Amino acid sequence: MKKCLRRYGWLRETISPLFFLLHFFVALPLFAAPVQATGPPYLSTVLELAHQKKLYQERYWHILLHYKRGLFGTRSLIDDEAFFLSKEGKHNPEAELNATIRAFFRNGDDQSNPSVCKFIARYTWLKEQLDLDPSQLPVPECKRFTELIDQIKPESVSLIFPTTYVNSPASMFGHTLLIVETASKSKLLAYAINYSAVTQETFGPLFAIKGLFGYYKGYYSILPYYAKIQEYRDVNDRDIWEYPLNLEHEEVIRLLMHTYELNLIYSNYYFFDENCSYQLLFLLDAARPSLGLTDQFNLWVIPVDTIRAAKKSGLITGTFYRPSKSTKIKHIASLLPQDGKSKALSIVRGELKAEILLEQNIPKEEKIRICDLASEYLQYLYAKDEVTQKKYTNLFLSILQARSKLGAMDENEYHIRRPTPPDEGHLSNRLSLGFGIQERDLFQEVQYRAAYHDLNDNDKGYKEGAQIIFGNVALRYYFPDSKLRLQGLDLIDIVSIAPRDEFFQNISWKVRTGLYRRVLADDRDDLLYRLNPGGGFAFEDGWKGLWYVFMETELDLGPDLQDNYAVGIGGSAGFIGKVTDRWKIHLFVRDIYYGLGDTTNSLELAFLQNFTITTNTSLTAKVSRNRSHGSHQNEASLSFGWFF
Amino acid sequence: MKKLVVIVLAAFLVITFAGASFAAPKDNIGCGLGYMAFKGKDGLLSQTAAATTNGTSSNQTFGITSGTLECNKPANFTANEKLNKFVADNMDNLAVDIARGQGEYLNTLAVLLEVPEGERAPFYAKLQTHFSDIYTAETVTHVDVIKNIEIVVTSS
Repeated sequence: MKKCLRRYGWLRETISPLFFLLHFFVALPLFAAPVQATGPPYLSTVLELAHQKKLYQERYWHILLHYKRGLFGTRSLIDDEAFFLSKEGKHNPEAELNATIRAFFRNGDDQSNPSVCKFIARYTWLKEQLDLDPSQLPVPECKRFTELIDQIKPESVSLIFPTTYVNSPASMFGHTLLIVETASKSKLLAYAINYSAVTQETFGPLFAIKGLFGYYKGYYSILPYYAKIQEYRDVNDRDIWEYPLNLEHEEVIRLLMHTYELNLIYSNYYFFDENCSYQLLFLLDAARPSLGLTDQFNLWVIPVDTIRAAKKSGLITGTFYRPSKSTKIKHIASLLPQDGKSKALSIVRGELKAEILLEQNIPKEEKIRICDLASEYLQYLYAKDEVTQKKYTNLFLSILQARSKLGAMDENEYHIRRPTPPDEGHLSNRLSLGFGIQERDLFQEVQYRAAYHDLNDNDKGYKEGAQIIFGNVALRYYFPDSKLRLQGLDLIDIVSIAPRDEFFQNISWKVRTGLYRRVLADDRDDLLYRLNPGGGFAFEDGWKGLWYVFMETELDLGPDLQDNYAVGIGGSAGFIGKVTDRWKIHLFVRDIYYGLGDTTNSLELAFLQNFTITTNTSLTAKVSRNRSHGSHQNEASLSFGWFF
Repeated sequence: MKKLVVIVLAAFLVITFAGASFAAPKDNIGCGLGYMAFKGKDGLLSQTAAATTNGTSSNQTFGITSGTLECNKPANFTANEKLNKFVADNMDNLAVDIARGQGEYLNTLAVLLEVPEGERAPFYAKLQTHFSDIYTAETVTHVDVIKNIEIVVTSS
């Protein structure tokens, strides 16, 4: 029953009881007299009916045209003129509706791509709403689409989430796409529907800025899912999460119709709101309008939040994990003794021939793992451009030839235990309330963070060692002088701590910019702007603690600085450890020598502890000692964090 | 089972080479090992590159489009275009699965060759044993691989 309601929910949404009655009265005569309805009189009848039924106000019409209410009234988020049949279409749902109906009646329509094909979703919906008699239209149906459906045999849809990729500014929050699985039962052959910005820009900062302001055109595209797996899992080295959806057959068809309409149609791409994940939601809303997913987001859209929204609306039926290349390499390596790992490395370096390994006196299972580790690792290095194609193909074949002589292994041999899915981690916004003491002054502090995860938060569902902070603002109220002040504003604070081992020579890096406070020569805690990049190394110890060391530079600007600026160089080192699943500690020291402008040496020493209460609540205790311009500042604070 | 696979492969090859002999130039070598559509686009700018690559797909019509835009491919075949594209696009991952005698890429090959589920285990074992006859050399192309699979399956 529930299923049925869901299935027909979109009908309930689009036809209110009144319209439903109207529909009966008006539509019945049409049924009775299709013979009279020829040529233009029929067109005017249809237009009149559409007007009476106020179809242009219908929710489904607004979904198909991507209409949203904005500050300046209704407008479509689509920017491509080719998507609109009326010149006013972008801003006028009614004009667009009339123009669309007219287009279906137009004789001189482009025969190779008639309007009923180009706007197949609109046509199907209008035909149903207006009881259109197809025999009265120059092109009564879109044969091409029907053939396509017969050919691809779509069955089900999954929402796909390649996780965070900190190294790339545009995808550090992850990405989402949809796959349409077919009767072939092979997921690799599914069709992946993807929305992304199209650009030739290769200069990172410019790319980021242009992306923020909608400079790029975003297009929907379709590729085989295996191509996307190759891109995300093999080349970008990202874990992929697959969420099967419970769309019924007719909903899948509606999704495909709308995708078909959007072929070669662009919208201006905005990183924060009109991004890949948001645009994908239109396809889901078109499939099942009662979802209203596109109505649930305002200022920014974080990909994982769209998964949460889909889950909340009951769309998601399961979770499937597809580990990245490096996750797999680490897993196979963990099954081997040190000697086995060294042998795999020797094979990849060309120091040990794979066929020689076959003759060695070690168990067959170990030989299999060594070969498998070597081939996976070699593929990884090749994807990273660290071996030439010639060397790669040569080694790759010799390893696989040896491997093929060892027989098959238990299917579950390389089964990797599923970590916490990203949608089950803490939510993206955080509000913290705390109090503390600085030297002898008591203070209260309130902090709000727009996105999304810091090094001290619980890592469940997130990538360990990856911090991505956007828009974190802290206000403090000091009791002694009863003054409220801005304590800090992190515009961007990103840290990527990637541990190194014998297989992965990762570079860790950080960049942060925003406002912060430091004691200056006037002996006051002044507000400064800073830009602080750094690079370094990290290692993981036996009990999963991360040790890191960074070399950093810093530029500070502020009216209270001598010459209004300070440039420094220095470093930091720290340890992040998990005492238990719910208790995390972070100890670090940071020293910057400011040699230019306002010269001084600034030292920071801090110890943080984070206790997870529930997934979305935590307690943070911090003690720190800062020294700048020769004066010390000790501080201790306790704060309660709530994720929402 | 063998028969079925042979029929599928034979139909594919006939169409492939018939098409090739008419339309394709002599240097039609197909996609080889190490072919990756997204390779070398890693790092800080990868999203740009990926987006650019995605962009190339915007000249498509609806329906499956392949990442192997740079690969020569025999023209005029339709019967098992999917098999051709799949092997071309996944030369390396398929090689890994054949050498291991198991895996998702091998399963998909079996799906495309219409090998019934009950007969897949011996099919996989046979391909694994003959890995060197299928991936014969570093310069092997997807056309060779498909042809070699046919030879392996038909030989008893």
